[in-house]
Amino acid sequence: MKDLWYFLKLFKPHGDWLAGGVFLSLLTALASIALLTLSGWFISASAIAGLVAVDGNALAFNFMLPAAQIRALAITRTLGRYGERLVTHEATFRLLAGIRSWFFQQLVPLVPGRLSAMRSGDLLSRMTADIDALDALYLRLLLPAVVAAVGVTAVTVFLAFYAPVISLTTGLMLIIASIWVPWVFNRLGRAGAKEIVGLAAYFRIRQIDMIQGLADLIANQAYRRFSGFLEQFSDLMINTHRRNNRLSAISLAFTMLLSQITLLMALVLAAMAFEDSLLSGPDSALVVFRVIAAFELAAPLPQAMQMLAKTQKAARRIRQVAEMTPTITKPTQPLALPGNYDLQFIDVSFRYPDQPVWVLKNINLNISQGGKIAIVGANGSGKTTLLQLLMRYYDPEQGSVLLAGQNIRQFDADELMSCFGVLSQRSQLFAATIKENLLIAKPTASATELATAIKAAGLENYIGYLPKGLDTWVGESGVKVSGGEARRIALARLYLKNAPVLILDEPTEGLDSDTERDVFKSLADFAKYKTVIMVTHREAGLELVDVVYCMEQGVLSEL
Amino acid sequence: MQLTETANQAYFDKNKAREKTCADWLKEQSKAVRKLILFAAIAGITNGVGVIIQSAMLSVILQAVIIDKLPWASAITPFIMLAAVFILRSMCVYCHQTWGFEAGAKVRGSVRHQLFARILALGPAGIKHYQSGELAAVTLEQVDALENYFSRYLPQQMIVGALPLIMIIAVMPVNWVVGLIFLFTGPLVPIFMALVGLGAASANRSQFLAMARMSGYFLDRLQGLATLKLFGQTTQELVNINKVADGFREKTMAVLRIAFLSSALLEFFSAVAVALVAVYVGLGLLGLIHFGPAEHISLSEALFVLLLAPEFFMPLRQLAINYHDRAAALGATDAILAILDQDTELLETSDSHPGSTDLIEFINVCKSYDKRQVLTDINLHIAAGEKIALVGESGAGKTTLLNLLLGFEAVTEGRVLLNSLMVNRKYAAKAIAWAGQNAYIFHGTIKENIALADPDAPEQSIIDAARAAGVTEFSAQMPEGLLTPVGERGYGLSGGQVQRIALARAFLKNAGIVLLDEPTANLDAANKRLLLDTIEKLFIDKTLIIASHDAEVIQRMDRRIELQQGQLVS
Repeated sequence: MKDLWYFLKLFKPHGDWLAGGVFLSLLTALASIALLTLSGWFISASAIAGLVAVDGNALAFNFMLPAAQIRALAITRTLGRYGERLVTHEATFRLLAGIRSWFFQQLVPLVPGRLSAMRSGDLLSRMTADIDALDALYLRLLLPAVVAAVGVTAVTVFLAFYAPVISLTTGLMLIIASIWVPWVFNRLGRAGAKEIVGLAAYFRIRQIDMIQGLADLIANQAYRRFSGFLEQFSDLMINTHRRNNRLSAISLAFTMLLSQITLLMALVLAAMAFEDSLLSGPDSALVVFRVIAAFELAAPLPQAMQMLAKTQKAARRIRQVAEMTPTITKPTQPLALPGNYDLQFIDVSFRYPDQPVWVLKNINLNISQGGKIAIVGANGSGKTTLLQLLMRYYDPEQGSVLLAGQNIRQFDADELMSCFGVLSQRSQLFAATIKENLLIAKPTASATELATAIKAAGLENYIGYLPKGLDTWVGESGVKVSGGEARRIALARLYLKNAPVLILDEPTEGLDSDTERDVFKSLADFAKYKTVIMVTHREAGLELVDVVYCMEQGVLSEL
Repeated sequence: MQLTETANQAYFDKNKAREKTCADWLKEQSKAVRKLILFAAIAGITNGVGVIIQSAMLSVILQAVIIDKLPWASAITPFIMLAAVFILRSMCVYCHQTWGFEAGAKVRGSVRHQLFARILALGPAGIKHYQSGELAAVTLEQVDALENYFSRYLPQQMIVGALPLIMIIAVMPVNWVVGLIFLFTGPLVPIFMALVGLGAASANRSQFLAMARMSGYFLDRLQGLATLKLFGQTTQELVNINKVADGFREKTMAVLRIAFLSSALLEFFSAVAVALVAVYVGLGLLGLIHFGPAEHISLSEALFVLLLAPEFFMPLRQLAINYHDRAAALGATDAILAILDQDTELLETSDSHPGSTDLIEFINVCKSYDKRQVLTDINLHIAAGEKIALVGESGAGKTTLLNLLLGFEAVTEGRVLLNSLMVNRKYAAKAIAWAGQNAYIFHGTIKENIALADPDAPEQSIIDAARAAGVTEFSAQMPEGLLTPVGERGYGLSGGQVQRIALARAFLKNAGIVLLDEPTANLDAANKRLLLDTIEKLFIDKTLIIASHDAEVIQRMDRRIELQQGQLVS
């Protein structure tokens, strides 16, 4: 339950919608009960009054008022139902949108230090499916629970005025139907509901794996094995659904049986009360009709309780991610960015959280503003990690990194990022147009700026070639764009951002020599007055820098 | 950086014909489960008949007690019948729900099977247009969204066809005026509902598409969160996400406003019927109405018709709720059919061309995407055992050439022959070992990733392949060696390490033809030499094609094939 309370806090801004939904639900439910009850009473009263009238006495029965009330209730019920549906759903969607953006906000400080290890398939599952599952919290749990609680109380109190014994019996049975039965079936369905959320998340991860690696699977004749596994897995999910469906069918049948038994008891009790003249004829009918209607209130509860477990699991998973601590700490009073960009590493040692191996050992490095250095070294020697410390993916375990003589921990991490322009092996393209992909570097860029950057990055011909030009959609991770073109787009972003410190992480990896030459040529101009830190394991591009360092097993030395 | 409204609109504006296609497909799927649907419907109808009997017994008892002033115990027969009906109805409720579920479950299993088969048929080139999150949402959520159409909507449709009629037949002999009220209000409802429901279905489809696209959108942005941060765009992206979420809410509410209208309409008819019947029989009992059988009505008759009035509309009300299931299923079907109906590039099979002695032949091959010509008039003969360097700038068409050979894509013109047979994916997979430029690392251990082609390969040969490709070099430093779990685009592995795993795959596969796409791209000089030595040694008797622009690689091969802007140059 703690996990659900955690999310109830997020409900606050939408309180009006939520309360409105509860009010309308209640109104509709009570109007519905009152309509049937009043009608039953009206007919019975009419029958008795009719008998009296046939006997020749004057008709002493005011039929105008109940008839008008019946009409009013019919209208209230109709409008109430429509309004309730609209308001509760609107409330739910607002709530979900709020939770979604809240979740995104929680993720931002966790990237890339803490979250890079987590599989994005799983994240996707968390973000969409789990959050969607939270709609049940209001719509299928909170709402029916409040309506049932208030409704059952109202019915019981109302009945108590007519027949205390029937009121007591019905109240008891209603409590059993709306609290005990749901509780029991909740216990029974909990395991299954939990299983479903877990299975679905796993299914999604494996499937995204299968789709993204489709080429490798086909070429290795392994697709059938993977898809066969997923189909078996689908059967497993359906089996779990089946078990839970059976439970909900039983609970439905059982609730119905309970309501029928209550009806039978109420009928007998009302008849006995009538015989003892404790209850008038019309009132006996009223009591019976009211009992029939009252059970409508408890009907949705057993299924609601089954949802509880599923919702709880989803809530817990979202909360787990949201409550992770970032790998870096925020300064209490961040300093303003300085006017110069001298960089210094002083005795920096680093290992990844929870890892025993030191990745960097006692690094000392000075790069004054406008300085240009390269670090060469084999894969896994720690070159990239050094860059990540500079950009504050992590903070060093020992020693410090300084910008203009100040420890970079004292700056706001996001602001610090604005000093760096990065070109790396993995240029992330978004599923959007090329133009949107470029503008991410500078949303306010003018058409001229855009054109200049495109030209400088050597993208002109490529874009001219495309029928839709800049408005061409590049697919997920830019699959429709070749590696060379993706790198040029990244290069154009670098120009647009125009940051004072350039971080080049294997900037031409995977490019052919012509493209590589182009990239370095164009970089040479651009980097003239900027600080350059390049990391590479090749010789190409070293003419761009003044000093070359070598990194070996986390130890830095000048060549 | 946002889901543009025009892109969405193009997505949503599909004509009515599409809806019919979707409905027909759903009908087709229901054929296999017709029996289960019928059983579920029969259980529902029996439950309805139980309601009629129950109402009759209740009113008989109330009449006996209130009007005839008999002691309640004298009405023992109706009481026993009531109890029997209660048990019958509970059983019906259970059966209705479980049989219906089976119908939906069976369809879901079969549709997932169809989807997986189609993804295979489409191949890597065919699914390029989808985001993987979007595809995953189709086989998971969209398929699940079909369930209620089969388990609830279809049985309910049958119930609606039978039950109201049975109720009218039951009411007619008791009070024909009320019977007529039922008869005339009843058929009006489906007409109104159809009017209202048509709009709901197409709007609902757009809701599901929006949901699938939103899934894709979030996956994309989550994967790129580090990039967004680098450019200080997270705040802006948050605005976009809110916009997408708002758009989703507005679209969904547009659907629901209409969908709820039909249920409100029914609520209205049901409420009015109760009110009308109550007032008619009430005034009749008072002797104020002389129309029809009103004057001679008894309390039991009056209560019977009153109790049945709301029940008469119950099946229709239920159908209105389930109409939403139908609309949801149509929306899901649209997304499912978008994949199932996607044209595959047909690769002809086993079209034999005897007489050719070359292992691989490209005959007048052209390939173009839309209007962009990527390969022009390629004629290429490769004999068994040749060692070939495939060179050319990035974008010259090397990868496309390899894709054609692997059967991932079909030629626009010409033929690609492998062992004198027209190449297809299955055949190519058997004959060729391939290590692509961006090999994919699956969720699992390094060992499982190497043994992709043959999970039952002997332990020793996996280790040998790993050693030859240089995998053991870095795996030895990992906590669990070859059993270290890796995944998600090879997280925790560098580009070079991923490539070595891909090479190990190729080593282990032991196929006659080996295609390597830039195998040395991420290596330093010493490692490169080591790897090339291994490649030479291991593939000495194989046909080897290496795409590369590394001078050393090219120099080591026997023959050099160069592509320039999609054309072979000699």
